[in-house]
Amino acid sequence: METFNNSKPILLFLLLPCLLLYSLIAFNSSSVEAAMHTNNWAVLVCTSRFWFNYRHMANTLSLYRTVKRLGIPDERIILMLADDMACNTRNKYPAQVFNNENHRLNLYGDNVEVDYRGYEVTVENFLRVLTGRHETAVPRSKRLLSDEGSHILLYMTGHGGDEFLKFQDSEELQSHDLADAVKQMKEKHRFKELLIMVDTCQAATLFNQLQSPGVLAIGSSMKGENSYSHHLDSDVGVSVVDRFTYYTLAFFERLNIYDNASLSSSFSSYNPSLLMSTAYYRKDLYKRNLEEVPVTNFFGSVMETIHTDAAYKALSRINSGRFEAQTSLDQSVHHIEKRMPMKVNDQEETHNIIPEGEEGASKCPWSTFWNKFRKGENVDTLVNYGLVAMIPLLVISTWLVQ
Amino acid sequence: MAETIENSHSDEKPKPRVRPIVRFGIFLVSHSFLVSIVCFTSGVLALFLLPVLAKNTYISENALMPGSASPMLSNQHVSDGNRLVKDLTNSNLKSSETGIESHKIIAQYMLDVGAEVSFHKFHPQMNQFHPLHFFSSPDSGKIQENYSCSSYGINTVGIIRAPRGDGKEAIVLVTPYNALTSSFGEVLSLGIAYSVFSLLTQVTWLAKDIIWLVADSQFGEYAAVSAWLREYQTPKFSSMSALNAEMCPDINNLFEIEVHSMAGSKFSNSFRRAGTMTAALVLKVRDQSEQFDDTISIYAEASNGQMPNLDLINVVNYLAVHRQGLRVNVEKLWSFLNLGWLKSLGEIFESLANIAKSLNPKFKFGIPATEYVEGTAILASSLYYQALGVPTGPHGAFRDYQVDAITLEISPKFSLDKVWRNDIILRGGRLIEGVIRSVNNLLEKFHQSFFLYLLTSPSKFVSVGVYMIAFALLIAPLPMVAASLYVDSNSSSNCSKGDSSTPSAITDTDEHGITIRSWRWLNSAKLVFIVHLWGAIVSVLPYFICQIPDCSPTTSFMIWVLLSILSLLILNSVLASPFACVKASQEKEWALVKSVTISSVFIGLGLMSVINFATAEIGALLMVPMCLLARPLKLDVRAGTFRSCCRIICNLVLGHIAFPPAAFFLLKGMLDGFGSANVGGFWMWVESLWAWNSATYLFIGMVQLPCWVLCVSILFHSC
Repeated sequence: METFNNSKPILLFLLLPCLLLYSLIAFNSSSVEAAMHTNNWAVLVCTSRFWFNYRHMANTLSLYRTVKRLGIPDERIILMLADDMACNTRNKYPAQVFNNENHRLNLYGDNVEVDYRGYEVTVENFLRVLTGRHETAVPRSKRLLSDEGSHILLYMTGHGGDEFLKFQDSEELQSHDLADAVKQMKEKHRFKELLIMVDTCQAATLFNQLQSPGVLAIGSSMKGENSYSHHLDSDVGVSVVDRFTYYTLAFFERLNIYDNASLSSSFSSYNPSLLMSTAYYRKDLYKRNLEEVPVTNFFGSVMETIHTDAAYKALSRINSGRFEAQTSLDQSVHHIEKRMPMKVNDQEETHNIIPEGEEGASKCPWSTFWNKFRKGENVDTLVNYGLVAMIPLLVISTWLVQ
Repeated sequence: MAETIENSHSDEKPKPRVRPIVRFGIFLVSHSFLVSIVCFTSGVLALFLLPVLAKNTYISENALMPGSASPMLSNQHVSDGNRLVKDLTNSNLKSSETGIESHKIIAQYMLDVGAEVSFHKFHPQMNQFHPLHFFSSPDSGKIQENYSCSSYGINTVGIIRAPRGDGKEAIVLVTPYNALTSSFGEVLSLGIAYSVFSLLTQVTWLAKDIIWLVADSQFGEYAAVSAWLREYQTPKFSSMSALNAEMCPDINNLFEIEVHSMAGSKFSNSFRRAGTMTAALVLKVRDQSEQFDDTISIYAEASNGQMPNLDLINVVNYLAVHRQGLRVNVEKLWSFLNLGWLKSLGEIFESLANIAKSLNPKFKFGIPATEYVEGTAILASSLYYQALGVPTGPHGAFRDYQVDAITLEISPKFSLDKVWRNDIILRGGRLIEGVIRSVNNLLEKFHQSFFLYLLTSPSKFVSVGVYMIAFALLIAPLPMVAASLYVDSNSSSNCSKGDSSTPSAITDTDEHGITIRSWRWLNSAKLVFIVHLWGAIVSVLPYFICQIPDCSPTTSFMIWVLLSILSLLILNSVLASPFACVKASQEKEWALVKSVTISSVFIGLGLMSVINFATAEIGALLMVPMCLLARPLKLDVRAGTFRSCCRIICNLVLGHIAFPPAAFFLLKGMLDGFGSANVGGFWMWVESLWAWNSATYLFIGMVQLPCWVLCVSILFHSC
């Protein structure tokens, strides 16, 4: 009985180092999370073919134009169009695509770079783009070369249903597939934050399986609801834009590259009676407050330039503390302030890329140890030390109890 | 059945376990009388319920998007059409001896808007009875005999190539036109087609080629269209056309002239083709009209009850009603509208629906009585024209090549001023343009919507899943009654045997007897087979009769009847004297014959329902009661009860009605009045059936007629 009583404090003491270890790991992972937002990517997908799905291509091209206008360069946009409406023989205006019956804006102008077109737009290719597992022959322009500092906008439109999205009228992307791909991306540090925007029937169901942190999702309709087209162009003879996308565009048309509207203002701009469906957003995986996140975080591009002394050489620790942040006019003051607390973490981050030789010269022993620990070299010794350290504790505790 | 017999024999043995489905079957067979009455009445009732059960049509194919594009046909195109109308009427006034002049004008107009033009010269083919050509596809190898240079027709064909299309598909627009006796309606239909045609040469959205066929209808609209289609679909690789030209120099000359006058243009002397046909529209304008509105009639039935895809009708109906404000008609049997009992039936259904609605507001299946009567009239005509198996217009020629086609007949409210003419060209043209643009959006052949349906109004239909129920209920009693008759005739003779012989004597003789008795049905089967063989002979006879020159329909019919009776007698004497050799077990012989007859009718109706449902449905209505009720008159007379009297009367009436010529006269009388019905009429009707390769002809000859003969032989059976 006595020994049994004794075990309690012993357990307590055993727990202590474990907790310590855990907190270390937690600190570690949070530091990875907090990688700086350095670049923006957009993956824009139109999944349906056939002439009568003109509007889906127009949706995607409109989004393409918007993100380009707000500053994401072409090489960081993966545009997937399942069919070619512009050159469809039924198109009354050859080589032109409109998203409004006033025909003021040709979406298919000079500068459209379609990365995946026609039958290349498949579930397989889509997942390959997200997870980055390409055949070796795939050119860089068709790859999503994002990293842990990337904010990615993933826009999809097409025909969908409960937890699936049709591709090409022949195969389906299920919510599991999407969640799995996002998880893989997370594990491979392919994004910092991901905004998934889906315009399809029952779009909300597509997000059901998502688990990865840092993902924000918005869909045009709830389960059991349809997403409707906005209006018909009786000249072209087809519907040219979907409601959700139309009002999304209406919101973004008011913005310019320097604007600072928040994501929450964008999300609350959807009027269910105009949409004829309920826009749904899932933010439980997303830690930041939506009111403080500007839409340009996803729809625009990072505007600061990081000055480095030499190419191919990582930042030194001292420099990284106060790098030259050329903040453009658009970045508001509070945005910079918000980045301040991150700087501490930035220091740690940079150590990862410091070459082996410089490591020993590092002035902070804790961080050296930490680094070793991270690399998994000293784990065994750490455990051994811990065990040795526990022996006196054990002796003292038994002595105290007796 | 076998098990029941076995059970009765071996009571002392432990009863073998019978599976529920078998037990249910035995139950049905043993109550076959009740079951057959219930099934038949509910089958007839279901048929009359069809107008109530009809669903609203809907555009099933997403790609069609009818009416989503605004029409582009402007007044400019209308005046183009008007110009053609004027020129054609003028040329008709000038020279009416040959139609070549107006063909030239049409060709010139087509060339003017930049279309490819060619002439297609054809010789009309007389429809002849070919016993082996049923269900066979039309072939190009048909040898054209004994045509003269004077009898030929010229189709003018204009083709617009889709500017950015791949040239693999085409939409066909057909306007029948007789240059010799051109009526104003025909000229007006050309005007409408031309206005659309001139528009389509300018548009950028064409994905399929457009073919405009001006079919020379001096030998009938169908003949011209089918001749062109035959040439289009089955190209000849012989030098036939060259030979023709040599043989008929005058035709050759005419072509020469045209080639010269149109040198340097897109005129071509050879046959021109475009891609696979997606759909075809036949456009007609009726001359006289007593309508108050501009209406448009849709004719859809092709040979053997085949229908075009419902989506095509839907598109036309939608555009005509919602875009052009035209009224849409489909054919109906007008005589049905005045039937009092139908009206009261409709009222009964309506009141029943109202009661149901008062019980639960969610029940909404009732339709007003007037609508019911109208729906029934249209349903009846839909059934009738499908059952006839004769196409209701030139569109039928397209269906033989699996091309969806319908005939649109515009019947305007006539007045002669120019404004009205412009208006009808504008609205008709916009309708055609809308349909063409909608079909142009198609990515595949029509396949989404129904092919098997009956219309009850232009916007309501009964699909195959619903109307099959009525037919299935009608023919369900047949196998049960056949089985029960078979069991009865076997078991009753068993009983009589058992009474006469001592139990000890049963042992081996009975075994032997059972085997013999269980094969006794072969005798009846032989009889049924012989009668069906006779039916086949009767069906082939007209082939030989129509070889006789100068024969009026009435005499032909008489010869046919005589030959038929003769062949029946010969067959009977040569192959079997059906009732002579089976005297041994005579008393139930008729039951076995009836059983086998019913089985064969069941098989015949089942097969026919696959080929042409409407024929099978109407045939079932006539034959099922006759088969079920047939019973030797002698037995009924001997019984002398009220029930047997009723049965005698029913049998006699049905025996008269179900005889094919009698049924024809009755139907004809009901539809057109009895004055027009005569003996020759039946011959002509039969002639038209085989000319159109209608399966109904085969059904009448090989199922209905033998069934009738067998039933009559049962009625007069001497037992």
